[in-house]
Amino acid sequence: MNTLVKAAPTPLAYFASATLKAFNTNKTSWIGLVVFLIVIVAAIFAPWLAPFDPNDQNIFEKLRAPTWEHWLGTDSFGRDTLSRLLYGARISLIIGIVSTFAAMLIGAVIGMLAGWHGGRVDTVTMQAMDVLLAFPSLILGLILVAMLGPSMVNIIIAIALTSIPPFARIARAPTIAVKEREFVEAGRALGYSDTRILAVHILPNIFPEILVMGSLWLANAIRTEASLAFVGLGVKPPTATWGGMIREGFENILDSYSLALAPSVAILVLIFALNLLGDGLRDAIDPKLKGET
Amino acid sequence: MKKVALAILSIALVSAPLAYAQKKSLVVGMGSADAGKLDPHIASTTPDKGLLSWMFNGLVRIRPGKISPEFIEPDLAESWTSNPAGTEWTFKLRRGVQCHHGYGEFTAEDAVYSIKRASNKATSSYSNDFSAVDKVEAPDKYTVKITLKNPVAGFLGYVANVNGGNQICKKAAEEMGENFAKKPIGTGPFMFSEYQPQQFVKLVANKQYFRGAPALEDITYRYIPADSSRDLAFQSGELDMIYGKQDQTWVDRTAKLPGVKVAAIEPAELSELYLNITVKPLDDIRVRQAIAYAIDRKAIVAFKGAGTSREAVSVIPSGYLGTDQKAPLFPYDLAKSKALLAEAGYPNGVTIKTIHTTLTGMQTLIEAVQAQLKKAGINLDIELVEHATFHAQIRKDLSPLVHYQAGRFPVADVYLTQFFDSNSIIGKPTAVTNFSHCNVADDEIRAARVSTDPAKQLALWKTAQEKIAKAVCGVPIYEQLQLWAWKDSLDLGYELSGSLNLSPPITEKTHFTK
Amino acid sequence: MTAFLVRRLAFACVTLFAVLTLVFVLVRIVPGDPAQLILGDQASREAIVALQHRLGLDLPLAQQYTVFLTGALRGDWGVSMVSGQPVIGEVLRVLPWTIELTLVSLVLGILLGVPAGVYAAIHRNRLIDYAVRISSLFGLSFPPFVAAIILLLLFAIALPWFPVISARSGSLMAWYQSITLPAVSLGLISAAYVTRVTRSAMLEVLSEDYVRTARAKGVPWNAVIWRHALRNALIPIITVVGLYLGILIGNSVLTEIVFSRPGLGKLLIGALNQRDYPMLQGMMVIYTLIVVLVNLLTDLAYGFVDPRVKLK
Repeated sequence: MNTLVKAAPTPLAYFASATLKAFNTNKTSWIGLVVFLIVIVAAIFAPWLAPFDPNDQNIFEKLRAPTWEHWLGTDSFGRDTLSRLLYGARISLIIGIVSTFAAMLIGAVIGMLAGWHGGRVDTVTMQAMDVLLAFPSLILGLILVAMLGPSMVNIIIAIALTSIPPFARIARAPTIAVKEREFVEAGRALGYSDTRILAVHILPNIFPEILVMGSLWLANAIRTEASLAFVGLGVKPPTATWGGMIREGFENILDSYSLALAPSVAILVLIFALNLLGDGLRDAIDPKLKGET
Repeated sequence: MKKVALAILSIALVSAPLAYAQKKSLVVGMGSADAGKLDPHIASTTPDKGLLSWMFNGLVRIRPGKISPEFIEPDLAESWTSNPAGTEWTFKLRRGVQCHHGYGEFTAEDAVYSIKRASNKATSSYSNDFSAVDKVEAPDKYTVKITLKNPVAGFLGYVANVNGGNQICKKAAEEMGENFAKKPIGTGPFMFSEYQPQQFVKLVANKQYFRGAPALEDITYRYIPADSSRDLAFQSGELDMIYGKQDQTWVDRTAKLPGVKVAAIEPAELSELYLNITVKPLDDIRVRQAIAYAIDRKAIVAFKGAGTSREAVSVIPSGYLGTDQKAPLFPYDLAKSKALLAEAGYPNGVTIKTIHTTLTGMQTLIEAVQAQLKKAGINLDIELVEHATFHAQIRKDLSPLVHYQAGRFPVADVYLTQFFDSNSIIGKPTAVTNFSHCNVADDEIRAARVSTDPAKQLALWKTAQEKIAKAVCGVPIYEQLQLWAWKDSLDLGYELSGSLNLSPPITEKTHFTK
Repeated sequence: MTAFLVRRLAFACVTLFAVLTLVFVLVRIVPGDPAQLILGDQASREAIVALQHRLGLDLPLAQQYTVFLTGALRGDWGVSMVSGQPVIGEVLRVLPWTIELTLVSLVLGILLGVPAGVYAAIHRNRLIDYAVRISSLFGLSFPPFVAAIILLLLFAIALPWFPVISARSGSLMAWYQSITLPAVSLGLISAAYVTRVTRSAMLEVLSEDYVRTARAKGVPWNAVIWRHALRNALIPIITVVGLYLGILIGNSVLTEIVFSRPGLGKLLIGALNQRDYPMLQGMMVIYTLIVVLVNLLTDLAYGFVDPRVKLK
């Protein structure tokens, strides 16, 4: 068995080196990675970085333009926009990362099982996935959150559910391909269980592609969260979220431009960075398809 | 590529000169998502009331632009008399008044039908206002006689052009039944023409209006819930009149615009927190007192703006007949608040849930309150729902703390009865808006209602307010004036200082000067 | 071809059936009695029971399900709890606004995106290619409501060329004024998608043998690009555009809100806010219908673009 395993390629190691190569060819990927890391660090260290308590109201300082004290001005309650932006990054990232991760996990399992079993199971599952994929995900998300109630957990559930199909699709095709490979046949002959074969031999092979898809869908999840918050289905007040801040900013657009501008730029930069990053990762997998959507 | 850019640019330029020739058409921007029930006897929201007031008349009316009963003048009734006891009222109707859309002449029969409809719980939100009415009769085609079980303070106000006093046309109401709200028929200067859900209601001039044909040809009442969209559309000239965002910043900014009039009009609406005294942890009076002590009314007024808001003075709005202008409200005292909370068994704070509307003016207030309560260790868990849902859910007792903003007919009895009489407790068959399940001042409220001695009546009302404040059924916060802005080329045709229908009256005289 | 169509139609029916069932289940597991919701809190017990009977809520679930299904198929989607109007009428009234917006933005996206993508592919790895790639990536990073707000501020306020309330109709001019800003805000984002797909599809095709052969044979370069290469690249483009239409319909919700424009999105938000369940049911059905229809059209488009494509 050991020799057999060694005979199989080590996709993760290969993926890592390919990624490095792709990133060096396309330097913008590094920019994406660095920006993404900066946002993560800012979110983690928000309590230390933020100059004020994000929920601390100061009614005598409301809707101020940027000053030395409030670098990005204040909102309609006199809360510091910069501090809210930093804390808001936490919500965006947590919702984005957790929901994408859940979708990756569930999607991969569904895709692998469908590909592994083939036949009718495969047909039915994948058609269901096709329907879900075709349905406007934002609308499905809106309906789910409205019915479940706007809490962080429910928002994560809604976004995760709508993001499952692409992962299922991407996990299925390689599973079918790998299924026929000899090391899998060998594993079967040795009496290993399906689960073990899937986990040990198939998962590592499809992992890179799922990761790439994940980086792209993370951007989508963050945008969906912001969209939900924008129509009023975000995390409850006073919690700061970027989408919620844009909504408030739009409500006060005539009094202060910075209020809507700051979170808009933040979200744009983060999604742009994730897209750059995703592009680089994709090149690593399939250098031929540079820049495909 | 250059060609494309050029083409886009030229298209944009073609569209540049937009002409807004609307000298006879008034476009109003309202801050709600949609119309509610367009039935004057049922409608109770600011957006619906204002619109309906342009379509309906009362038997009498308060002069346009005023809110005090001293300005009561003839409307559909040309004259009226009452017996010395004030229990028999006789109204002589104006002849030849026509109902909208050819529903015939408005006669005593219609008036009797209207008042009976407004007194009926099944067809009216204001039936309690008419609980003292014994009989309504039409001795002849142009005479209406109302007999009361007991004298009612300010009775004429109930047959004025507000709420249940609005007169509707019998034939139309009977013919349409439940659908009356889809095509309301009255006698006012403007008639219902078209409704596009979530977009607008269109009214057209009633050329046969008894005070003369209106100067305006039509009114489009647009529903634009986002404050900024409304403001932007007003600035760009697409709207002629808008419902303002309820804060001082809006007033300051809008007043600076050229050619614009901004008005903060009476009556102010009282913003108050109603605490359900029957559920945990609010059933403990110490928790309620802690809340009351944690509210800093001065800071709230500073937040909302002194020009458009003022501190609450009692558990009912200021300036009403019978309001105690110096009611014993709790002062702001954080230390006391925390001490009471600890004493009640919540030294580490307590969480209280509230279901709240997304209406911006109210939402900013509750978020400011949330921040104030937080300092005392009280966590306010706000569940935001759309305004109509909010109204439905708080009436199901789903919200232990209810933030409500309201104004009523300016007589203490109305507000006290609706919000603090135990008969009005939500869930009861006679329910109105007693969200706190308050029952501490029933005797005083009821005795004052039928009292014929004005001095004694005032004393009873004062005691009632003291008792309610002391039991902390309600924590009054501040009073908000109604904010409106319109182009100064629009001449309303009267001096506006207030409106009981909460929107500027649009009368037959309202017109554009250019 | 016919067999293919029949199979796709069958699939469409299955999908529709699945969604209807899902909607039926969803609405029934959500807490709250619709009859109570309609009548409000002050309704008596008898009134609620009577309405439950009228709405068929007292029937066994299986029977309710058949009634619901047949109703949905006959076009009877119930009555809105808020306005009291038939759901189908309300939906059909605003449907043209949304379809119009989506189509115009899509056309805009294709008109801008396809040439940009082809151009970038031809000039691969040159400055213009990088510029197109970066700007298209930037474009699809835009949350749609941010793009909408920016356009609104620029072209309705700073430069008062277009109305703030994009809800005019009646004349061609009114239509043009109402559609431009919303369609441009969605169209630019679609253009970003289309550009990227076109570019990569073109790169793929340009590396194929027959393109090189055609070129070697002396066929003019322009003809090679536009007649031969693009034609083959259209298949992946159509696939992505078909999928993108779903995203576009989702995004139009946000655009309609920012521009105060009537449409399915505004209706949906209203129905969500007011928990208008019959309306939500109806909207799910209409969205599904649209999606199924778009899928069918996408499939047909394959055949139209390239008759050699074997429809299987």
